[in-house]
Amino acid sequence: MTNNKLTTKEIIKKNIPKKKPVFSNSALEEIKKGFFRWKENCVSDHDKENWEVTPQTTLGSGIPRELIYTPLSISNLDYNEDVGFSGQAPFTRGIHPNMYRGKKFTIRQINGFGGPEDTNKRLKFMIKSGATGLSVIFDLPTVQMYDSDDPLSSGQVGTSGVAIDSAVDMETLFEDIPLEDLTVSIVTHFPSNTAIIFPMFLVAAEKKGIPFDKLGGTVQNDTTMEEVVRSGPEYLPPKDVFRIQCDNIEYIRKNIPRWNFVTYNGYNLRDYGTSSVTEMAVAMSNAIATLEEMSSRGHDIDWVAKRLAFFWSISNDFFDEVARIRAARRLWAKIMKYRFGSKEPRSQWMRCHVQTSGLTLTRQEPLNNVVRAAFQALAATLGGAQSLHVSSYDEAYAVPTEEAQLLSVRTQQIIQAETAITEVVDPLGGSYYVEALTDKIEAMILEQIEEIDKLGGYVSAIERGWLHRKVADHFHTEQAKMERGDIKIVGYNTYVSEYKTRNIDVFNYPEKTEERQIKKLKKLRETRNTLKVEETLNDLEKACRSGKNIVPYSLECARAGCTEGELFKVFKSAFGLWNPPVIF
Amino acid sequence: MRDKNIKVLLSKLGLDIHNRGIITVAKILRDAGMEVIYTGNSTVDQIIEAAIQESVDIIGVSSLGGAHIQLGSKLVSRAKKEGLKDSKGLVIGGTIPDDDKKKLVDMGFDAIFTSGATREEIVSRIKEIYNEKSKKSA
Repeated sequence: MTNNKLTTKEIIKKNIPKKKPVFSNSALEEIKKGFFRWKENCVSDHDKENWEVTPQTTLGSGIPRELIYTPLSISNLDYNEDVGFSGQAPFTRGIHPNMYRGKKFTIRQINGFGGPEDTNKRLKFMIKSGATGLSVIFDLPTVQMYDSDDPLSSGQVGTSGVAIDSAVDMETLFEDIPLEDLTVSIVTHFPSNTAIIFPMFLVAAEKKGIPFDKLGGTVQNDTTMEEVVRSGPEYLPPKDVFRIQCDNIEYIRKNIPRWNFVTYNGYNLRDYGTSSVTEMAVAMSNAIATLEEMSSRGHDIDWVAKRLAFFWSISNDFFDEVARIRAARRLWAKIMKYRFGSKEPRSQWMRCHVQTSGLTLTRQEPLNNVVRAAFQALAATLGGAQSLHVSSYDEAYAVPTEEAQLLSVRTQQIIQAETAITEVVDPLGGSYYVEALTDKIEAMILEQIEEIDKLGGYVSAIERGWLHRKVADHFHTEQAKMERGDIKIVGYNTYVSEYKTRNIDVFNYPEKTEERQIKKLKKLRETRNTLKVEETLNDLEKACRSGKNIVPYSLECARAGCTEGELFKVFKSAFGLWNPPVIF
Repeated sequence: MRDKNIKVLLSKLGLDIHNRGIITVAKILRDAGMEVIYTGNSTVDQIIEAAIQESVDIIGVSSLGGAHIQLGSKLVSRAKKEGLKDSKGLVIGGTIPDDDKKKLVDMGFDAIFTSGATREEIVSRIKEIYNEKSKKSA
């Protein structure tokens, strides 16, 4: 990059054009007079003294709020530069000119449990219920990259996700599901498991005869997830994981053009325990690091950035959440334009999937969660999200039941079909309050990106334990606030009632998943070509060590019937292990 | 004064991926004056081995991923086999349905904490268990 020595914040500051405020000085003077008169005569002393209050909410930004917002709160607002029109930079009002009139947000609920045959049934149920996209999550051994027959996996096969050991399981998972007609989010959280599992999906598509360029969907592929958010027994070093992340991106961009090759996951980082601001600063810092790496590999920035996607958590501070999504869109467009010199509007889009916060769900009076999630979903819609997952009310007990998942779909359908919210683009744009919050949050995110820049960038911030400490500090502070009752949670620490709510139905895992998976693995190991397996694994290890893109090699492994655990062993051998800091 | 002596081993059970809960509990117990050893993700064998080596009073494990019954029962039977059940408290926390809470108690866990458990509940229950076990093994 030409601007290599300056930080993102410095580059934006240097390049941003001088503002042409909407409100003239004379108009502002008039408003100011009226405002002070009103404040003097109509506002009580108590309210004057407590003009600003800081909302105490779960995972909120903690930005103090004034009693009322007026043009004076956004006196410097430049309409074209700060707000503009939907579908035009800086995209504050949305990435498409007609937003939800053109395309409603995708209803995308995450699913996964038991063996691939069990989840296959649930996926078909979701399609029948009106889900417009699919999202698949993997069981603990698959996420942590061990085979179902590994001693470490014992007792956990098929829990909290679906068990996938090889390409054969992927075929079962998507049997009779029209992959060419809908988009699938393959929730491979980590770069390492993306490099292993996504090729298995590609093999399943090959077997169905679907060319790669007809496939549409998403992988997660986020270093933050693998190195910071995850708790696991074995970690690869951050710089290697980041390299695998970029290998995945490079391969997918070239070969599966409709696929979103990365979803910078703020959601899990925030639900793990960080503020609404850090969530976005970290995700964007990773995106910045990615684009720098891609640029150094000789790729055109606009070609890469077109398919970047983000994933945000939505919590309880309603207007904060709406403003945050708008702020992230505007900031990302500025970063693309000024830091990376992007020329194509599309590559300046901050496209996002949003999930309502699992952390805000309570075990006490679980039906209250239906209401919480609906408000959060509404905020996501008003913020202009591209796709949505509404967390189910029973998730403080177990994986959601079919009935609870259906209610989550219905919540979104009610927003889309009954509330008329989707008829007008960015309905809160121009609200003095929302615009002021949008400004404030954008500045706060940029400030934290600056902090990360000064630590040497995203990867260095992880290696040095900065992010681990940030998270631990945040959630201990927040825990104390919940305990003191500063953060109010209805039914838990506020309005606690003696009234015993009825028991809800709780999901039961299908039986014998482990036995079934082990049996399938045994058969696979007996029938596959052992020489081919060894050869492809050797080639993968060589690629890992040589610095070549590893994905063509892991794809060959998937084709040869290698298992996930076998590929993870190769990674461990090539890269070694890393000890992440544990802070409490 | 007695609290200072309580030594607690905390682990994520198996491959479970969520550790906000157990890290919060680790700090709560340390704030309450207990000595806390956190082993991260560990197998049942590793947990038992560490418990013996460190001669802890309480073994606490966390499971949010749904494997609490399978791995919990393994942990209890290994603890029994090693003769640890009388001297050491065994507690589990996480995302656990109500029906399974009963099963875990029947299995031999001394306490089960689910989401929403308070600092006071956790600290006082662990002290109680410690006192019960000290009496038994004295």
